[in-house]
Amino acid sequence: MPWQTQDFAASAPTPVRESPLALAVRRILRKPSSRVAFFVLGVIVLVGLLAPLLAPYNPSAQPDIVRLKDLPPSLAHPFGTDQYSRDVLSRVIYGARLSLMIGVLATIVSLTLGVAYGAIAGYAGGILDAVMMRVLDAFLSIPRLLLLIGALVAWPRLSIGALVVFLGLTGWFGLSRIVRGQVLALKHAEFVTAAQALGASRRRILWRHLLPNIVSPIVVAATLGVAHVIVLEAGLSYLGIGVQPPLASWGNIINDGADQPAALWWMSLFPGLFMVLTVMTLNILGEALRDAYERR
Amino acid sequence: MLRYIAQRLVQAAVIVAIVATITFALIHLAPGDPFSAVMDNPDVSETVRQTMRAQYGFDRPLPEQFVRYVSSLAHGQLGWSFSHERPVREVLGSALPNTLLLMGVALLGSFAFGILIALIQVSRRGSVTDHVLSALSLFFFSMPDFWLAILAFLTFTYWLPIFPSGGAVDPVMHEYLGLGGRIVDRLRHLALPALTLILLASAVVARYQRAALLDVLPADYIRTARLKGLTEPEILRRHALRNALLPIITLVGLSFPALLTGTFFVEKIFAWPGMGYAVVLAIGTRDYPLVVGGVIIGSILVTLGSLLSDVLYALADPRLRR
Repeated sequence: MPWQTQDFAASAPTPVRESPLALAVRRILRKPSSRVAFFVLGVIVLVGLLAPLLAPYNPSAQPDIVRLKDLPPSLAHPFGTDQYSRDVLSRVIYGARLSLMIGVLATIVSLTLGVAYGAIAGYAGGILDAVMMRVLDAFLSIPRLLLLIGALVAWPRLSIGALVVFLGLTGWFGLSRIVRGQVLALKHAEFVTAAQALGASRRRILWRHLLPNIVSPIVVAATLGVAHVIVLEAGLSYLGIGVQPPLASWGNIINDGADQPAALWWMSLFPGLFMVLTVMTLNILGEALRDAYERR
Repeated sequence: MLRYIAQRLVQAAVIVAIVATITFALIHLAPGDPFSAVMDNPDVSETVRQTMRAQYGFDRPLPEQFVRYVSSLAHGQLGWSFSHERPVREVLGSALPNTLLLMGVALLGSFAFGILIALIQVSRRGSVTDHVLSALSLFFFSMPDFWLAILAFLTFTYWLPIFPSGGAVDPVMHEYLGLGGRIVDRLRHLALPALTLILLASAVVARYQRAALLDVLPADYIRTARLKGLTEPEILRRHALRNALLPIITLVGLSFPALLTGTFFVEKIFAWPGMGYAVVLAIGTRDYPLVVGGVIIGSILVTLGSLLSDVLYALADPRLRR
């Protein structure tokens, strides 16, 4: 509804120049569904950040592996315990911390690579662009999970840092194509010609004039990218080649219960619910951001 | 047209070559020997290790190994599976038909179901039904494949034991059944894994197709059809859907990677004896050649899928037909 936006802008007292991101955030928070998503995601992020305060038990403590193992949910252990008598609620809380952290860090790696690769290809043009795009096609045609399985299976007992790097290294292909397209479209815009006429260097034009204009698709890709990494990390941990025990991640907890999913149903259900909530809220927000930008 | 197909074939070959290079690099960048499962055993003496490395050619210089690797790939050889003690090609070859069956059923089912959902949504756009279906498809779109598969497994084989819990056929009874019984047995085993995949994939199709239909609706020919006096369902079915089906062909190619990924997890959880199941088991036994073979075959499948959908697109769009 464009007239509402105009109305709002007209009545706003002395509008400080608002960044596109702030504008988009303000716009999406008008939708009830994104408000709920924003709130739920905020709670999950808080849970992750405050994990040491919120978790009722030490997530890797094995208090009594005979009497306290495989307990179904109860008041003392709302999400039950696993086969080592560890409290599943505490593990899910610490899992939130680790899964979100991996998601954000890996996405930062992919954003950096994707933006750099796409910007260079789009700005350089010609043969370099063509070659870079064919290489990209090849990467894009390997399913990301398969690529990661191929890479991770050879590195047993992987550290979290290395896992983040691998997840980041396999996540930039789509974004760099978007960035390249945007750079190509803006390369001959008037403000770029103006900057060239004023004697700006190629690097300055790229960083100061082109990139700030393509922030919106990058923000959208980042939001959806975090969701994707969380699902991937969970899947890999479920296969036993992601986050290594005794560390808890959502996929890893599900993997701990995978031998007897029927008997230990609480170990699949609860971490999965958190995972779905996180991924869904990120997807809702990512799409709302995309709509907000596209409407501009 | 032929020239276009030839171009795309060359592109596909280049992609497979790059995939082969990447997998080779991955194996050789990794620490330790490419057959750690055997080498990790401390009882294996250094002499035996050396002999094994020499036998498999791992003592040669890297460029030579690379050339050998590429040439054996080009001959269709994928190496030796340590855990099955058979060539990787045989292991994957016997598993592949099961995977293709599962993927094929899921592909057809999810496109039929997804397009149907999208049609319902668009014919009542803005209504409660539309919003509920949108929310549901976002829910299933956000659902990690393996988690939905676990839930389906728990619900329909354990709490409500309607379906058998795994495998492609009943391990005991299948041999004793008549032809009709065998077919029913196979279908019963196929149902749950296929339905899980269909649910996951149709969420993607429905979201995509709804957007495609909404893109088409403002077009002039829709307005013409409306002015001609056609009813809304007729317009949707005869004019909008046919034009919005074109992007669906592209989606077939695009959905292949996701479908394959989903198949890997679904096969693991339902013990469906396909390629994904073989690869997932090979991760556990650290049978690298089998895992890498699966990665290569999976990438080839995806490349073929996108090749096929591009060619179909060119054939279906009269504007591209020359």
